[in-house]
Amino acid sequence: MRMKIFGVLAPILALTLLAGCATPPPPAGSAASKVVPLGRMENIEVGAMRVARENGFMTVKVELHNTSFRNKSMFYRFAWLGNDGFPVADEEGWKSVTLYGSQTSFLSAIAPVPKATDFRLEVKTP
Amino acid sequence: MLPIRLCSIAAVALLATGCVNNSPTLGSKNISYGDTKAVETVTNEFGSTDLQMIAESMTRSLAQSGALQGRPVVQVYDVKNKTSEYIDTREITTSIKTQLMKSGTARFASDNTDMQSQVDQLKLQNQSGLYKPSTVNKTGNMLAAKYRLEGSISSIVKRSSDYKDVFYKFSLQLIDVESGVAEWMDEKEIRKTTER
Repeated sequence: MRMKIFGVLAPILALTLLAGCATPPPPAGSAASKVVPLGRMENIEVGAMRVARENGFMTVKVELHNTSFRNKSMFYRFAWLGNDGFPVADEEGWKSVTLYGSQTSFLSAIAPVPKATDFRLEVKTP
Repeated sequence: MLPIRLCSIAAVALLATGCVNNSPTLGSKNISYGDTKAVETVTNEFGSTDLQMIAESMTRSLAQSGALQGRPVVQVYDVKNKTSEYIDTREITTSIKTQLMKSGTARFASDNTDMQSQVDQLKLQNQSGLYKPSTVNKTGNMLAAKYRLEGSISSIVKRSSDYKDVFYKFSLQLIDVESGVAEWMDEKEIRKTTER
């Protein structure tokens, strides 16, 4: 009898554990949904974002935080998208940024064309 | 006996397919195409990443500034190279022109290098008598530039036994031709350090 109950409970327990472990996708439109990390990000967190339109061009400011006490660098680039979710400009070149230990810094970017209405931030730590 | 024969046929077939080149490449495996947008740190001389960063930063700053209202005609002058190294500054101006053109914010008058070809073509059309008159482009209709775009790049190089530090500063300004007033200016700084 005890074995039978365990047999029923075990799969439920396993499913509950699995569901607990799975990370839910970030809500659409949130700052996290705009960030595309290429691999695991080491010691750098991407925080709040400010998006505006100035003189017809989309401008973005992104907060970065170095969680380590050591200086850390990372690579990044923006991809600019149109209303249909597809790129409206050529690929940007990768750029490198260095953050001092525990520093919070801001990236700022301007869209290359007025048609850009959305963006993705690709990030990678070395 | 039969399984052995079947196995050997399968092995031969496998080897034969393994030898077929299905890859759309030809040549040495030591040569490959790389990412043109990658951060290049082969040496600390002026490189592709510096060119891309300067052009991108300047273009976007100018396009978004609002200084170029109504797609004005701009004359671009060659960037003055004040560094100690050879830099093809024409490529910087070409990249800036291309990106501004793509952003739809400016039009460009024939610059120093294009002007001779432009004049030659107009002369040929108007003076040679070779062309059908209705198709000939008239002289005296070229658009004059409202603004001129001028830039310079300079560098400070410092060396010690352990370090080589190069600091580049690129400056660009947009000047109203009629008034001589600078309507927009920006600069981009780049530091590259090599630790020996």
